[in-house]
This record gives sequence, structure tokens and C-alpha cells, in this order.
Amino acid sequence: MVISWLRRLPPTLIIGMMILAFYLTVAITARYWAPYTHNKIGVGIPFSKPSNDHYFGTDQLGRDVFSRVVLGADDVLILAISSTLVATVIGGLVGLLSGLVGGWFDQLLMRAFDALIGIPFLVLALLIIAAAGSELSGDTRLLIMVVAVVYAPRTARIARAVAIDLVTRDFVTVARARGESVFSIVWRELTPNAIGALLVEFGVRAGYAPIFIGSLSFLGFGVRPPTPEWGLMIAENRAAIFVVPMVVFAPAGALAGLVIGLNLFTDGLARWIGRSQGAASG
Amino acid sequence: MIIRLILSRMVLAVLTLLAVSVFIFWTAEILPGDIAARVLGREATEESKQAFRDRLRLDRPLHERYWLWLKGAVQGDFGVSLVDQSQERQVADSIKPRLKNTAILGVYAFALYVPVTIFLASISALYRDRLPDGVISLVNLVGLAMPEFVIGTVLIYGFAVKWSLLPVLSQIQRAETLKEILNSTTLPAVTLTIVMSVYSIRLLRDSLIEVLESEYIRMAILKGLPRYRVILFHALPNAAAPALNTMALNLAYLIGGVVVVEQVFAFQGLGSLLVQSVFVRDAPTIEAVALLVSTVYIAANLFADVMSIVLNPRLRTG
Repeated sequence: MVISWLRRLPPTLIIGMMILAFYLTVAITARYWAPYTHNKIGVGIPFSKPSNDHYFGTDQLGRDVFSRVVLGADDVLILAISSTLVATVIGGLVGLLSGLVGGWFDQLLMRAFDALIGIPFLVLALLIIAAAGSELSGDTRLLIMVVAVVYAPRTARIARAVAIDLVTRDFVTVARARGESVFSIVWRELTPNAIGALLVEFGVRAGYAPIFIGSLSFLGFGVRPPTPEWGLMIAENRAAIFVVPMVVFAPAGALAGLVIGLNLFTDGLARWIGRSQGAASG
Repeated sequence: MIIRLILSRMVLAVLTLLAVSVFIFWTAEILPGDIAARVLGREATEESKQAFRDRLRLDRPLHERYWLWLKGAVQGDFGVSLVDQSQERQVADSIKPRLKNTAILGVYAFALYVPVTIFLASISALYRDRLPDGVISLVNLVGLAMPEFVIGTVLIYGFAVKWSLLPVLSQIQRAETLKEILNSTTLPAVTLTIVMSVYSIRLLRDSLIEVLESEYIRMAILKGLPRYRVILFHALPNAAAPALNTMALNLAYLIGGVVVVEQVFAFQGLGSLLVQSVFVRDAPTIEAVALLVSTVYIAANLFADVMSIVLNPRLRTG
């Protein structure tokens, strides 16, 4: 029965789930089987080539790159998912509220979001990081906030469009007639109906978040060393690409695989939601 | 009607730009700490600090400073850089050469991107679901998952390290002849091209396939026209509308994307200037670059918007 149910799922969803399950397993279990810790220096000669002792070679401080890549999985996953989640929840709720309330409130909010969207996202991220000051630089909370400020306006636009479509429906009119507050309508009437669209939006954003956070780390504004974040590792090891290409390609491959998995998963999810909605209405 | 629609988009873009300028000024000015003490150092006397504050108008209220800043910015005067006080370096002077370099890079990347996208999408659509299409789709998926800094690093590894065709680091600031300019811009431009084309190839392929299945294309093929003519003159113009919109949006992406790519190749452009000034917290330079980049970004988005209005035949009446 499970097999036949699985067979009806879009193939991209299944492949995506398999890739994500692999990454999750590594993220959760790596600390038990990784050969070295992420910041143990001098476990091998710096920049030694891949061998049986060091599958992906060692970096400039003689740290084991294989251990650092697998131990970095949980940081990368947690950062990407928590920041996208914060952005989706805030952006989603604000967008739904804005679409429901309408009027000048809606207009004002949307123009403010237009302004935030009117700044290229990396430039916006750098502005926030500059404003936060050097004490907060590299702080996880700051990174989550940066991603949230960049993503939330875009999510809010989607949520608002969904809300504007929903507010003309009878169940919203009825809820209004019952005298429910706007917050209660947003939470109990709109959110359940918008969850599919928001889920897909979450997936699309989460699929890009590792690249985004990795880019910030690469520029030197992401997580602090010696965190084994893949973007930071690529930046640190880049000079060694002449000597041991693997120390760069390993974190790059890990990052690319995760993004591919997230994208396939989201693509499949969108198809699956579209299909089950089509089946329900048709 | 269409003129009014375009005009209203333009007004909206200007309003957005104004809001953006407020936001940029506000974030750059709330940089924590006493700027005077930080820039002049601990040994500075109270008088010199006060003189510094006077010169930067730090004692005036925020909205007044914003107005003066905006007035200067419109005239190309972005004030004095906070770094290296002895030199009194105008922000505009440090931006100008960078702006030129970034513009060269952007134009080069875009000039590569459009033909590459059209060519690969046409191949993909012509050989639909066969080997060339499969290979292009697979490369696309991988490209989609690669951040700019990984693509750039891989290109450096291939072209600069393995085959020594091009320099590892870009030396655009010293480039004089066309050959030197090409030498120092090609790898960054190719990186940007790859990032931009992965989305658009997919999109153009899908809309080409749709058009290729229509009656008039079958008619053209039955007439005995060669395949390339059918694609170039019959199918592409009709498949181009959605792709043109993405191309214009990619122009907007390009402006933000240069930040990372310039850093990868140590390219002396606006993006690397922004990163440097964030590191040293040089507020006037941050403000100037962010405003400049956002202006171009909003203009590119407006251009994409207007293109999709003009290309939509349903809006073309009246």
C-alpha cells in the first residue's frame, strides 16, 4: 500500500526527499562517526592530498576536510531552514493581514516592501550587516535576521495575492459577520487556505538560502571561523585550489547537492499540491 | 491606455527609489558608536572631533542631513569618504573608475548571455527529449545549484590553473588595450553568464516547444523551409516574449550578482568597493554605492515591466 502511494508521488519529490534524508542523516549522526573534530588542527600536513586517512585532504591548518564537510551539514541545514522559516512566517502573516485589511494600511506596507525589494538582495544584506555593527558580525541571530528581512517582503507579496483572492469568498464574509477579529480571521480562515502556496514559497526560498548564506560567508560576513560552514570553507581553501582541488570541490559539491535536493523536493511538492488540489476540485 | 500604464509604472519606480534612498541613508547612519572618535582615533582632541562633526553635519537632525545628502547625490556629490582623513578623498572620485569597470563587465556578460541562451534553448527545443536536450537540462540543474563563487572558482581552476589561458586575478584597473580588458573580464563575465542563463534557457526552451507545436510552424516546415529558418524567423519571435522579460530581470540580477563575482576575481568594481567599505564601515561610500546600484536595479526592473507591457498584444490596443 505504501508502495502504491509512493508511486503516485511525483518522481522529483521522491528523489528530492531521498537527497534531503541523506543530508539530514549526515547532519544528525556525523558527530558520532566523523574521524576528527571540526577544529582539530594539525591532524595531517597542511594541504595534503586526499588519502585513506583524509578522504578529502587537509586544509591550510591541517584540519581534516572530510570531517569538516560532514560536521558542517547541521549548521548549514539549521541556518538555512530556520532563517527561511522565520521569513515565511513573518512575511506570510503580514502579507495575509495586509491583503485582508486593505486600504491605506495595505498600500503603505506594500510600498515599504517595494522599497526593500528595490535593493538587490546582497546589497540589502550588506546594508543590514553594516548597520548591525561589528560586535554582531558573524552572529547566527544576525544572519537569520538578514535572511528574514530579505525574504519576508517577497513572501508577503505572494501571501497578499493569495489573501486578496480569498477575502471575497463566503467563509471570510461569514467570519467577518460573526465579528471575528482580523487576527483571528488571518489565523483561522486565511492561513489554512494559504498554507500550500506558502509551503511552496518556503521551499523555493529554502532552496536558495544555503547559497545566500554561503555567499555572505564567502564575502566574510557570514558565520565566524572555525565554524565548518561550506561557503566559509570554500573562501578559506580557495588559494589551495592549485595544490589540492578537493579541499574546495568537497564543500562546493556538498552545497550544490543540498541545493539540488531542496529544489527537486520543492518542484515535486508544488506538483503534488497542484495535483491533489486538482483532484479535490475536479 | 498603454502610455498611461507605462507612465504610472515610471512614477511608481521613482517613488520606490525615494523610499529606497530613505532606507539606505537610515541604515548607514545608525552605524553604532561615535563616528568622530572612531575615524580620528583615541588621541584626537575634543576640538578636532567637534570640527569633524561640524564638517559632516553630524549635529544636525537626521531628516535635514538626509535632505542635504539627497540633494548632493542627485548632483553626483556623495560627500567625503570617512577612511583616510588626511587625504580628503571624494566618494565620487573613488566610485567613477569602479563604475566604469563594472559597466564593462556587465555589458560583456549580457552580450554573452543573450546569444548563448537563444542558441542553447533552440538546440534543446529542436532535440526535445533526446540526448542534447538531456545534457543541457542536466547541466542546467547543476548550474542552478551552484553559487556564483563556486562557478567562478571552478572556472579559475579550469581556465587559469589547468590550462593557463586566462589570469587568476583580474587586473582591470591596469588594463589598457582591448586585449588586456578582455583578458581581465572574460572569466568574471562567463561566470555571470552561466548564472543568468540557467533559468532563461529552461524558460525559452519550454515556450519554444509550445510554439513549435503550433499549426503555422508545421506549415512552415511543410513548405520545406530549412530548420534554422523556421526557428530563427518563425518560432523565436513568438517564443521570445516571456524570455525577454526574464532577460530584462536578469539585467537586474546582474547588478547585484557582481558583488560576489567581483570578490572572487578581485575585480576592481562597484561590488568589491561595497564589500570593502562595509568592512571598514565607511558610511558615505556604502550609501553612495548602494544608492547607485539600487537605481540601476530599479531601472532594469522598470525596463522589464515596460517590455512585458509592450510585448503583450492584449494591452496594445487603443
